[in-house]
Amino acid sequence: MATQQNCALPPGFLLDHYRVERQLSLGGFSIVYLAYDQDGTPVAIKEYLPNSLALRAEGEVTPHVTEAHQGAFRYGMKCFFEEGRALAKLVHPNVVRVLNFFRANGTVYMVMQFERGRTLHDYVQKNKGNVRERFIRGVFTRMLNGLREVHAHKLLHLDIKPSNIYLRADGTPVLLDFGAARQTLLSDTPILKPMYTPGFASPEQFNSRDALGPWSDIYSVGASMYACLAGSSPQRSDERVKHDTVVPATKAWAGQYSPHFLATIDWCLQLDPLKRPQSCFALQKVLAQRHREAPPQQKTWLEGLGSRLKTMIGRT
Amino acid sequence: MRFTIFQESRVGKRRTNQDRVAYSYTRDALLLVLADGMGGHLYGEVAAQISVQFIAQSFQQEARPKVSDPVLFLSRVLSNAHHAILDYAFDKQLSDVPRTTIVACLVQEGVAHWAHAGDSRLYMIRKGKLAAQTRDHSRVQLMLDQGLLDAEAAAVHPGRNRIFSCLGGNHPPQIEFSRGVSLINGDVLAICSDGVWGPLDADTIVGTLADGRVMDAVPKLMNEAETLGGPQCDNMTLIAMTWHDDQQEDIPDTVSTRTMPADAYTTQMEGFGRSKRDQEDLSEDEIERAIREINAAIHKFK
Repeated sequence: MATQQNCALPPGFLLDHYRVERQLSLGGFSIVYLAYDQDGTPVAIKEYLPNSLALRAEGEVTPHVTEAHQGAFRYGMKCFFEEGRALAKLVHPNVVRVLNFFRANGTVYMVMQFERGRTLHDYVQKNKGNVRERFIRGVFTRMLNGLREVHAHKLLHLDIKPSNIYLRADGTPVLLDFGAARQTLLSDTPILKPMYTPGFASPEQFNSRDALGPWSDIYSVGASMYACLAGSSPQRSDERVKHDTVVPATKAWAGQYSPHFLATIDWCLQLDPLKRPQSCFALQKVLAQRHREAPPQQKTWLEGLGSRLKTMIGRT
Repeated sequence: MRFTIFQESRVGKRRTNQDRVAYSYTRDALLLVLADGMGGHLYGEVAAQISVQFIAQSFQQEARPKVSDPVLFLSRVLSNAHHAILDYAFDKQLSDVPRTTIVACLVQEGVAHWAHAGDSRLYMIRKGKLAAQTRDHSRVQLMLDQGLLDAEAAAVHPGRNRIFSCLGGNHPPQIEFSRGVSLINGDVLAICSDGVWGPLDADTIVGTLADGRVMDAVPKLMNEAETLGGPQCDNMTLIAMTWHDDQQEDIPDTVSTRTMPADAYTTQMEGFGRSKRDQEDLSEDEIERAIREINAAIHKFK
């Protein structure tokens, strides 16, 4: 079903006590603006405005919601609140920070910290085919710190992709857009279909939503790392289930990246949830190893003790 | 103990449901409680929620499996609920203290005691006839008692919603206690808010509940009250309980507490998010509450 696009609020519009500068992005569920507060601090404001339910025509402020869509509009609002609730509890340098939440113009708004930088997606597009392993390991190891925090709050992100990973000027990643978080709640509402990006979503997101877990976000992390090398997402997982045409990273980039790193990507991209890393921590441990050779043989406990002693001596 | 119980609360044509109702029972004791938060005052539903929740919790703590003195228990929990509302108003720096009516009824050892403040009512029906009823703490009731009004004039009196006793507010409540009533098989106790007894006459309420089949009678009375309430229909809440002999054969839908452990309790509370409109979508109040909650969470961690 084709739906008309909503009109964004015009630049200069005074929204609560924020002045709208410009529109940053427009999605099916919301519009994100860059705005300034009274002190001139830039913020990102996300406006709840589902395309299929509410329509704001040119020059209007309050979107029009038909009587028939009122119920669904309010229901979607509930999910928007879920996103707010989820983020409000999370305070982590690698997760976007919510600053305020308010109601205006017949809808609701979430004010977030505005991060300067660019998305990982932009970075990959600019440096196509030339993204270094060290960089990817670094970004994802730190991004997984944020994702661990998300999982620790019993939440799933469910829409991890390079365009939702923001790189600050200093290179630290921030996880954005929790619009899909908790959308498991929506699985039986036809009007507001869960929104995820096909190439990055795990197979269980398409068919068996009760099987969702941290491993589902891990699949998306794997697909995102794959996209860093390929420049685009791997084949949609629902099609992979029927006919898998994805060339394993270990084959496609053999010799260009360490086998250990490529094997890690393939590990995350397993179709069977049980065959993937089961937690962020498990994946992080592997990603944090920065060596190009095969992992060393298991040491005997005496050698292990010796090296541990050495590090202790080294520290003093 | 063996009894049949049913409760229902509806928002009517109002924006929010300020009625709260709950029942709770242990092996040897049963508590029914209903509060009607007063509109026209700030946070009526908060007062009702605090009262019902507080009284039900006190019951759960003290009824192990019964309370030591029913009258003292009722006296203490009602006045403590009153103070809990005052504390809330103080904490939140409210300019006015929220108010609520209250009816609480405790049954143990086959004897029912109840206490009330305000104009929510308890009816006791025995053998198809009204055996006892609370007296509203309203000016209209006083005028009725003094012979200044008859029942017909009272039903349309402009001040019929004015009450002189309630929990919360600026004056200590005047709580009225019943004497203990020994229940016999088939007795019905019904508690309702003025949204139910207002549009209906006493004969209809007593007549409908007379046969003790509360599962059918309660929705039927609610439907009638809602129809008669028309476009101005108030919040309506009704809870009714039929008492059965322990020795009686199993009757469908009855609750028997004989097999319950001495320290267990079961509570059913109706109110938040249970009115028909709230089930489908968010009410205005819920939106405001969600936003407050989120902002509280944001500022807590800042």
